[in-house]
Amino acid sequence: MQLVELQKSIRDFDAANVAVYALSYDEADALRDFRDAHGIAYTLLSDPDSKVIRSFGILNTLIDPNDHPWYGIPYPGAIVVDAEGVITHKFFDRNLAVRAGPEQLLGAALGQSLPEPELDRVAAPDDVEVTVALDGDHLALMVQRDLVARFSVPPGRHVYAEPAPEGSVGVDVRLDASERLVRRPIVRPASEPHTLAGTGESFEVHHGVFELRLPVTVNSAPRQDAPEITIAGEVRWQCCDDEVCDLPASQRFELMVPVSAPTPPALGNSRGAAAEPNAMAHFRRMSERRRGAG
Amino acid sequence: MRPDMETRGTRTDAGWRDHDGFVGPRQPGTGPRSDPRGDFPTGPAVGDAMPDVRCVSADGTRFDLHEHRAGRPAVFVFYRSAVW
Repeated sequence: MQLVELQKSIRDFDAANVAVYALSYDEADALRDFRDAHGIAYTLLSDPDSKVIRSFGILNTLIDPNDHPWYGIPYPGAIVVDAEGVITHKFFDRNLAVRAGPEQLLGAALGQSLPEPELDRVAAPDDVEVTVALDGDHLALMVQRDLVARFSVPPGRHVYAEPAPEGSVGVDVRLDASERLVRRPIVRPASEPHTLAGTGESFEVHHGVFELRLPVTVNSAPRQDAPEITIAGEVRWQCCDDEVCDLPASQRFELMVPVSAPTPPALGNSRGAAAEPNAMAHFRRMSERRRGAG
Repeated sequence: MRPDMETRGTRTDAGWRDHDGFVGPRQPGTGPRSDPRGDFPTGPAVGDAMPDVRCVSADGTRFDLHEHRAGRPAVFVFYRSAVW
């Protein structure tokens, strides 16, 4: 699913001149069949003895070496490197079903730079503008995308970062309870220390334009009668300057996000077996080879 | 480091449900659902040089990561299998 979702965005990676690789312990000919079935245009890599996986130290050792054919898989994840070959970001989740989505990976590769702040100069001084949107145009099973709350704080003012001083409200995004939405801790920009001229009190704040990113995915495929998921919740903040503090503010949001139908699994049902050419044969051969290797 | 195994799961009519609500035929803590609980190894650290990767591509041809990316930034995905 992650690989197919990456392919859907491959033009964006190409346009940004970011190379994409995906490595598994599959045999090369199994990857070739997968690549051809899904029109994968980026580079699929074969590590059938898990040599590369071991060299990175990410072999899943929770699996018994005799547990064929699962032994040999890595803890799935993604590593982003810059032009110099230095690792800048890593995406690994404790739930092996949760994978970084294309927008997260491309954003990381591009340094996730915010555009230059464009504050509305005619806004009333206490106006904090907030927009909430998904970074991506849909959700898919397992594939993580960021819900982005973008704040625009007028010049000369600030909002409290978390943790806020006692009695004040730090900027935050809260999602309503949802059975289907899998969420991960919010990613916050670095805050800045702020000291009040009068009292010398010091706390952490955000200025100007900044984003909170809340990684989400869905744990189930769309139902026929529900091809979308509602992501609802509330953003909250408290805006101040050195003289005046507004009352805490909040704003509800409700987004309807399409959920794409999953790529059928390679094994386990006839539809899936048909979707992945020779999947059963590859699986059997892989199992047998591993069993033979002991 | 040997991480603890994540075994929280409940049986439902549709299969085994893990703590994030993903439902699958296998019980969490077995086979391909061998999830870690707590910390687990994720390879070299942010700020480290990306190690060499030498293996074969889907075509069966020799592959060298740093040679292939030729000075481009890159995204490198480790996943479980394209087959299952």
